Amino acid sequence: MSSKPKASEYAASESEKATASIALADKQYFKDKYLPKLTELRDRSSTENYQGVARGRAQADTMQALTNRPSLAATRSVDASADRAAAAGSQLLQGSLQGLAAQRGDQVNVLKQARGMAADATSGLSRAAKIATTKNLQFAQAKQNRRNANFAMGSKLAGGFIDKDKNSPGGLFGEGGYFSGG
Amino acid sequence: MGKEGILVVASLDMYDNSRRKEDRFSISNLPSVSNPQDTFANITRGDYEDYLKNFRSFEEQLIGMTNDTSLIDQAREDAPEQAKLSADIQRRNAERYGGAGLSNAQKQEQQRANQRGGALNLAGNVNNARVEQRSVNDALLKELISVGQGVNQNALSGLGDASAMSAQRQAAYKNAKSQHHSNMVGLGGAVIGAIFGI
Repeated sequence: MSSKPKASEYAASESEKATASIALADKQYFKDKYLPKLTELRDRSSTENYQGVARGRAQADTMQALTNRPSLAATRSVDASADRAAAAGSQLLQGSLQGLAAQRGDQVNVLKQARGMAADATSGLSRAAKIATTKNLQFAQAKQNRRNANFAMGSKLAGGFIDKDKNSPGGLFGEGGYFSGG
Repeated sequence: MGKEGILVVASLDMYDNSRRKEDRFSISNLPSVSNPQDTFANITRGDYEDYLKNFRSFEEQLIGMTNDTSLIDQAREDAPEQAKLSADIQRRNAERYGGAGLSNAQKQEQQRANQRGGALNLAGNVNNARVEQRSVNDALLKELISVGQGVNQNALSGLGDASAMSAQRQAAYKNAKSQHHSNMVGLGGAVIGAIFGI
């Protein structure tokens, strides 16, 4: 007959403990070092003036190109001023567009990263719940097995007791016993 | 202590300092995990809380930006400003050339052309800005929909897991109940059989 199982036989191995420790340390490191960077990028993508640089450069380039050599002909021209304003307006729009596109790109990137983390957290919780369910079911099954074994043992004992009692005089079921009707 | 002795002490100090620095990166500082299941559940729950705390409002803000009009608004402001800037340049250039020999009629025509140009630029730039704004907003919407699909899939998968686990537990409970019932019936049968010698 085998000996009673010991809890120590089911303890975590050294490699299992090391895996869990390293994972926890890495997780903590990520939280301390990388998560603040993501929140920093979140703030920067919301507050930084992305368009300012692009618009400033667009304005400067336009004016440098169109006003660096003033001429008498241009000064006398009727529509030069309106053309210059149109060019500057278009360039500024392009500057704004580039800035806004870059800002949205960064913002979407932050959201994707954050959502990726949230998805990992949700699937992690789901895995934790699965592990717990499996464990609980295994415990319940083990308990049920014990209960079944106890029942079987109880049935055997009861049968044996009644048999023995019936074959002996007196008692409950034996000759002249309580239930014999004698 | 001689010069060599001082050097030895200094180099030992440097060695100790570097060892202390290395200790920060030593594996002996690893945390111990007594209950991996609880740790896993706590960390993932914490991660989700972190997401809610740090990024939920940012996400809602970004979702609200699909109807952004900042480019159009900016273009509306830019057109008159650029018209004024350009008219000022024109005026300064004319002053540089001592009036550039422009008659009053020519000056008036320049002003009118500038005003017309300003109005045309305003309309043109705002129209272009509308097109560009639409493309930026659509691009954002596309990205958000893609993110949303991921969120939806993940949520459905989580719900599916929860439902499967619940069904598994209920089946196990029913199974245990029926086993208990059959045990009781078996016990009763055994007792009765033993009494009546069946």
